[in-house]
Amino acid sequence: MKAKKALSLLMTAALATAMLTGCGGGRGTEETTQQTAADTSAAAEKKDTEDAKPEETAEAPSAGSGIVGVALPWLGTQNWAEAEVMFKEQLEAAGYEPIIQAADQKVPQQQQQIESMIENGAEVIVVGPVDGSQLGSVLEKAKDAGVYVIGYDRLLENTTGVDGVVQFGSVKTGELQAQALLQGLEELKGEAPYNIELFGGGPADPNAPNFFTGAMSVLQPLIDDGTLVVVSGQTDFTQCATADWDNSKAQSRMDAILAGNYSDIEIDGVLSPNDGIARAIITSCENAGQPIPVVSGLDAENESVEWVWSGRQYSTVAKPTNALVAETVSIIDSLLSGNGMPATDVKANNGVIDVPIYELPPVVVTKDNAKEVFADDPDRMALLKD
Amino acid sequence: MSDGHILQMKNITKTFPGVKALSDVTLEVSEASIHAICGENGAGKSTLMKVLSGVYPYGSYDGEIFFQGEKMTFKNIKDSERAGIVIIHQELTMIPELSVTENIFMGNEVVEKGLINWEEERKRTRELLKEVGLHIDPNTIIKNLGVGQQQLVEIAKALSKNVKLLILDEPTSSLNESDSENLLRLMLGLKKQGITCIMISHKLNEIAAVSDYVTVIRDGKTVDGYAVEAGKVDENKIIKAMVGREIENRYPEHTPKIGEVVLEVSDWSVEDAKVPGKMLCKDSAFYVRAGEIVGFAGLMGAGRTELMRSLFGKNMGIFRGGTLKIGGREVRINSVRAAIKNKIAYVPEDRKGLGLNLLDTIRKTVVSANLDGIKTKGLLDFDKERAASERYRDSLKIKCRDVGVGVNTLSGGNQQKVVLSKWLFTEPDILILDEPTRGIDVGAKYEIYKLIHELADQGKAIILVSSELPELLGMADRIYTIFEGRITGEISAKEANQEMLMKKMTITA
Amino acid sequence: MKYIKKVLGEDLRQYTMVVALVALIIIFNIASGGKMITSSNFQNLISGNAYVLVLALGMLMVIVIGQIDLSVGSVAGFSSMVMAIAARQFNLPWYIAILIALAVGVVAGAWQGFFLSRLGIPGFITTLGGMMIFRGGVIWISRSISVPAPPELKWFGAGYLPEWGPAFTGMNNSTLLLGLVAIVVYASIQMRKFNHSGDVTGKKEEFWPFAVRIGIVTAVIGYATWLFGSGRPGTSFPIPGLILVLLIILYYLITERTSFGRHVYAVGGNKSAAELSGVNVKRTYFLTMLNMSVLAAVAGILFVGRSTAAGPADGTSWEMDAIASVFIGGASVSGGVGTVIATMIGGLVMAVLNNGLMLMGVGADKTQVIKGFVLLAAVAFDVYNKKNRG
Repeated sequence: MKAKKALSLLMTAALATAMLTGCGGGRGTEETTQQTAADTSAAAEKKDTEDAKPEETAEAPSAGSGIVGVALPWLGTQNWAEAEVMFKEQLEAAGYEPIIQAADQKVPQQQQQIESMIENGAEVIVVGPVDGSQLGSVLEKAKDAGVYVIGYDRLLENTTGVDGVVQFGSVKTGELQAQALLQGLEELKGEAPYNIELFGGGPADPNAPNFFTGAMSVLQPLIDDGTLVVVSGQTDFTQCATADWDNSKAQSRMDAILAGNYSDIEIDGVLSPNDGIARAIITSCENAGQPIPVVSGLDAENESVEWVWSGRQYSTVAKPTNALVAETVSIIDSLLSGNGMPATDVKANNGVIDVPIYELPPVVVTKDNAKEVFADDPDRMALLKD
Repeated sequence: MSDGHILQMKNITKTFPGVKALSDVTLEVSEASIHAICGENGAGKSTLMKVLSGVYPYGSYDGEIFFQGEKMTFKNIKDSERAGIVIIHQELTMIPELSVTENIFMGNEVVEKGLINWEEERKRTRELLKEVGLHIDPNTIIKNLGVGQQQLVEIAKALSKNVKLLILDEPTSSLNESDSENLLRLMLGLKKQGITCIMISHKLNEIAAVSDYVTVIRDGKTVDGYAVEAGKVDENKIIKAMVGREIENRYPEHTPKIGEVVLEVSDWSVEDAKVPGKMLCKDSAFYVRAGEIVGFAGLMGAGRTELMRSLFGKNMGIFRGGTLKIGGREVRINSVRAAIKNKIAYVPEDRKGLGLNLLDTIRKTVVSANLDGIKTKGLLDFDKERAASERYRDSLKIKCRDVGVGVNTLSGGNQQKVVLSKWLFTEPDILILDEPTRGIDVGAKYEIYKLIHELADQGKAIILVSSELPELLGMADRIYTIFEGRITGEISAKEANQEMLMKKMTITA
Repeated sequence: MKYIKKVLGEDLRQYTMVVALVALIIIFNIASGGKMITSSNFQNLISGNAYVLVLALGMLMVIVIGQIDLSVGSVAGFSSMVMAIAARQFNLPWYIAILIALAVGVVAGAWQGFFLSRLGIPGFITTLGGMMIFRGGVIWISRSISVPAPPELKWFGAGYLPEWGPAFTGMNNSTLLLGLVAIVVYASIQMRKFNHSGDVTGKKEEFWPFAVRIGIVTAVIGYATWLFGSGRPGTSFPIPGLILVLLIILYYLITERTSFGRHVYAVGGNKSAAELSGVNVKRTYFLTMLNMSVLAAVAGILFVGRSTAAGPADGTSWEMDAIASVFIGGASVSGGVGTVIATMIGGLVMAVLNNGLMLMGVGADKTQVIKGFVLLAAVAFDVYNKKNRG
């Protein structure tokens, strides 16, 4: 019995060895890669990551694959849907092979999509994150694999695996929203004081607090001196935030505020972080029998452009997706032609490192300037009918 | 062509993968008669009825069915019901939360302009209930009715469908004596109205009482069939045909070897958990000695099961006092686990509902009440499990291909043996058997009786609860009678007879 | 056929899903041009799905006992958020933070177990409540903002085994060692079984099926070892995968070899019969729910380790993935049926499907549709099989 047992164990061991050596033989062709990769990783330990990268990319077997991954959070709003189309068109036009995937607002889904892009041999991955701080280890994996990571529209936080972020100045955007709100109030609602309410965006989006901060930098002094009255008293970001940028949640909150605070007074203006929420707010006011307040917006979604044109929504802020995509593609051009990241003065700390930021200025759109802003945009021009 | 036969099933053969369930069975049933079909469990009776009622559609079997002279090709139950054949299953199919009316017209509602005409339905229900001799409000919720009443509602439902041939699958198996009698009387009444009944039954006395013709099926074949004059059936002849051998005595011979008192219960009181104030057991007192078989006779709902389950770890009702002595020492048992530790075992009356997990294999079931018995270093040991189940398979003659097969594949008798194995594996001193032979065929019953005797001879104290008085008289050494939660009498089996027991079961002492 | 049965056991149907899984892997590998079966993709597959599989382990027991737990995603999100906040705002060391997360899991599980076992409120309702309570809790305590987790946690969610020893093996030696240990353990278990095979029946079984079994498993583990071990230097069989494997072994033992495991199946199969067999039904319910929430906390820790931050939406709809894995693995909605291994296979089928479709560039929308169909098809197939047997 014992002998048999020993024999079988021996056999097992033999089998295992045979197989492992067999496998080892199969890896012969890759041996060089293995070797160099080992060198690189050793090198990576002493060198700082920035310079390790181009070297690794150059040696990677997929060098020059021209594959660019684009990971978008979802396609549920117009700007993301447009981004998908534009990235495809512009990347293909520039001779790259795009892989574009949207994550349905789910973090794990996006993590796996980015990994699959690395698997597919992407050289650059553009990331519009679902949650900018929850992609840490995946983006570091990309960095280790020698892939450039560019944040798109939102900051990538809490990771070393990011090379730069392209976005519209988010604090600036907030300032513009607030200024447009004030301008509208003066124009349409007579003398101060004005009754207003404040809305913020989805807290998981790092831009949302920035919008709010920007807007409050303009509004807070006027609230303090009594020009503006926040009747509900809710002026803190966490009170005003709209989870997941969900329009219906914003509408419920507006319904509640109107029911609770505006039974005998009129609302004059509302700070809204984007167009979807702006429309939800306006709908809520209409349902409550209030006169339409001055409402700010963001993204210049088609429906809101129409509303601005017809006077229901006072303003929106256009962050032309086209321009943002074009800027991203130009950075990709620079990277893949071997010129590294373009220079920029703006940096933002993401919790771990300082990330280069490429900021584009947004544009306020009201009924007065709509035709000028969208002069080059035939789709939106078509909405501006008299 | 039909020669006064309402139904002719000719040369029916039905095969399942690997098994020939019916082979060349022929059944002829005369119009307006009561036709009994008997046979051991697994003989093919139910399969035959499923062929007849269209559960197995035309084409899935060989042979022909003629009903009222016409060839029938049923594709499903609806087809057969349309022709006037209704089957009432052993397990009732009423929806417990709905009313009598709703159940009777379920799937067959009286609809006018898209809406149910409740007035009409209730009116017709009242008529139907009168026909089956049930005097209840049509709005009564089914779950508030007794099993016997539910059975009558099932028959009323069949009548509502203009039934011509009524098939009753073991109709009295869950009824008490008076309900059974009631049902049999109703069958005779239906016969007078020209409705034909097929009755599948184990109970030879019932067959003898009402049937005009008996067909015996064994191993998927018709083995015997003869006309009988109601009330004059040779029971032994039927038994012989069923089991294929002569059974001289339905209860094996046994000389008890009675020892010391093992279990002693006094002043045991239990209140109903659902109906406050209602007592399930009132000051019950009894004792059982080693090697003794003590019978408990009582009608359904008299409190037999309630008393036993209360003793078995306060498993039923709210305990309201009483003492339990095992081997002369008082013990407090508050959980089933504790009861098992104190060497008590309880084989429940509802085998499928309470005795078995039908998803389990034989081997898992056998050890399920004593998992500690198969542990090695704290983990379950499959070798020990297998050894245990093989042991009981041999000693109890459980018929199965392997102990790894599911208990759901076994016949009733073999399932009961598995349940008994499970309890024997806990090595009990006190064995409570609640209706251990219900729904089991004659052959298997005999084996279980022999097993009970063996256990008694090993010195175990055995409590036998049964609705069948002959069984108690044949098996027990001493019998207690229960009525409305009270023990009303204690009689030595030698002195007892059925009339005497029945009297004590129906009136307070 | 007879020979195959001797090797694999009488019931070949349980291998259907294994076959489906292997077929999926091969099909995707061809369709994606060889990107499926690579070291890094398999590493991704395991570390990206470990948390769902961990949940599925607990969910299996919950479903077997005849209940459902809808709150696991929220509990995972809540416990990991508490952990992140404890570490960041109260400056507790990471291991204390992990213990706190597990403690939150215990408390959450005890809470739900209490309502189910003591008050008899169905698990569906208890945990529907829990789902809302804990989701709200996450958003509340986090003020809807993601909280970075201690960097040490990354090791649990995305870490690798250390590199050491000689380079000639051409692979990560930790992984190699692990693989060899697994093979030796399996072989010795089989040998033990063979040596004891005649003890009960008195009839010794033939040796060759054992040898073939050892051979097959050696080949599979050997291949997996090579696949995971030969990736980019610094990578190995992932840590979350290792944690998962340890949990699978543990839960296999619990479900198959302990009284508690048997009791879970007994209560799920026939509660009344279990009670009359001496099973403490309430306690079994309680422990099953408690266990589920603790595993949810573990899943949350793994996920946060991978994400490097705890987010307010963490765990959203994870329960559905876990439930789907269990049912694809052949568990029964009415309880009493299901095994750990089959559940893991079911979970891997979903994971491979997700991963493969992603590699092929199929969008999240279509992926969802396909996963829905696969769930239906798998369960329909199972039901069909059972019907034909009965």
